[in-house]
Amino acid sequence: MSEPTMTTPSMVAFGPLLERLLAGEFICAVSDEGAFRRLQDEEVRERLDAYLRPLNRRLATNDEGTVYFLAWHTLDEAAREQLSRQLGETVASLLPLLEWLQLVQEALGRDGPPAPGDVLKPADFSSRCEDHLGLRERLERLATDPFFGSQSDQLDAQLKQVFKRLKEHGYLLQPHADRQYYLVTAKIDYLLDLVRFIRDEENLPVDDQAPSAQERLL
Amino acid sequence: MSQAPAHALESRLIATGVERLALLGKHAEALMAGYARNEVPLEGLTTTALNRLLAARILWRPDEQGGVKLAPKVRELIAEMLADESRRHVNADVAETLELLRGLVQSYREARDAGEYWRQEQQLLRLRQEVDDLNGRFADAIDSLWRRLNGDFGFVSRLADKIRENERAQKQIVRLLDGLALIDFDELITLVGSDGALRKLLVSGLQQQLTQHYTSLREVQRRLVELMARFRQQQSRSRLVAGMAGFLREHPGFVPGNYARRSEVPGLVNRAAPLVAAGAAALDHHPDGRVLGELLKHLPPPVHRPEPVSAAGVAAPQEDALVAARQQALKEDVERFYLAVVDGGEPLSALEFLAQGAFAWGEEIWLFQVIAEFQGLPRSEQRAFRLRPQESQAGRYNDVRLIHDVVLELA
Repeated sequence: MSEPTMTTPSMVAFGPLLERLLAGEFICAVSDEGAFRRLQDEEVRERLDAYLRPLNRRLATNDEGTVYFLAWHTLDEAAREQLSRQLGETVASLLPLLEWLQLVQEALGRDGPPAPGDVLKPADFSSRCEDHLGLRERLERLATDPFFGSQSDQLDAQLKQVFKRLKEHGYLLQPHADRQYYLVTAKIDYLLDLVRFIRDEENLPVDDQAPSAQERLL
Repeated sequence: MSQAPAHALESRLIATGVERLALLGKHAEALMAGYARNEVPLEGLTTTALNRLLAARILWRPDEQGGVKLAPKVRELIAEMLADESRRHVNADVAETLELLRGLVQSYREARDAGEYWRQEQQLLRLRQEVDDLNGRFADAIDSLWRRLNGDFGFVSRLADKIRENERAQKQIVRLLDGLALIDFDELITLVGSDGALRKLLVSGLQQQLTQHYTSLREVQRRLVELMARFRQQQSRSRLVAGMAGFLREHPGFVPGNYARRSEVPGLVNRAAPLVAAGAAALDHHPDGRVLGELLKHLPPPVHRPEPVSAAGVAAPQEDALVAARQQALKEDVERFYLAVVDGGEPLSALEFLAQGAFAWGEEIWLFQVIAEFQGLPRSEQRAFRLRPQESQAGRYNDVRLIHDVVLELA
């Protein structure tokens, strides 16, 4: 007896993955490395697409192929309605999310905004914010933004709320429920791709390239 | 014959070398201060000591008025010893070494042909040292490159500086590779001829070592290019985030176009609504029955916690009130059914009463409430009624009794 299941695992094996995708999750190398690796196989994607077809869904990915999620297969009126609403929500959450990315970069003295796989600990922020009034005020403003919606005036409670919301939205992952450290997921890539897209579409005066030509003249 | 003066020369060289090396240790603090700063502080140095350091070319004075500085070679030596990547130099000059090697080989052969064994030995020693130096320079350069790479160029703090340092390192690699390319083994083979010692040193040994250097350089180059891509990406993301955040702050009312209404919806915007794959316990699959039974047995007993009043939201009581009102209405209608039985004195079918009264209740919920009402009566009042369920067995092999209707009569 040959083992056809070795080369083409049955769809049953994809059950949990399909369920997560259907629930609207983004799958990346951080959130589920095994599933992400399998999704990079074109044959697997084709089979999943065939399965998803009756549900009017298909697999989609971002520009760099670092996250997978589900898109509508055919866009009917209801789907367009849902997408418009969703886009509105995303646009409303852009500024608080971008400000959070900036705050992390500055508070932790990093070279860039948080990237997939980075480890973030609320404790690091509280110690930085305690030493630095400017950071403290920015965090306070951010935490009370409707997107994060903190009601507290305590630093730790605000941080907790910010991390909780980011986790709910899939930008952060908490590997152990009782341990206060988080991993940045590749949904951040998706967000930045979307920002880049909006910038290009609306011709916004936002430049992400270093002025290298000028630097060379100096 | 010529060996005695040569030996004397050598021992004098050694003695002076030891003396001058000792100077490095003796004035280590002043020299390190000069390494860290621009000039060597003269406070702790006597004139004699300063003159010795100048004579040993450990220090030099660029101009008469200016201060005393570390000689470039000494600075390099310290940087090398400390693996201080911000000051370490990469020496990629191979052409000069090759020139020197050719000269030494020539001189070695002349000594051999003239039968001057001692001079021949000396030339071979110099050749060995030069080859070792060449190797050492590549090894040092590669070590320095790896250190910078593995440390993510941590010796500079800003990303723009890291990018510049990475560019510099990549240029160094190109120069080192160019240097390696200058070494032409065909030429060396011709040069050494049939001499076994030279062949081993300049052909087989060198070739093996240079191959290793070449592989290492290629690898470190590949990694530097990767790291550069990451730096550039970080820089681009950082600028994008800052730029877009700035723009949105300045334009609070900014609304992008509704991309979902375009004929071609952009891929990034197309994110399907979440779909929950719901499931419930089902008994139509016989083997599952036992599993479900087990699960049921292990269910924790329901805990009735007192609702904390202060925590209750606004929406919840409204919903509760609605349910309670409907429950009350159902109870009142069922009571009407009981009163009808009392008034009429005749057995009454619950479902018939429901149909005649044009109540809005479902049959099942109606029957359930009629039975619940009966069971809820005080025992004395219960005895006044008789409740006769009309039931049947659920299936030939299933002992579950299905109630189709109940008839209520006075006892």
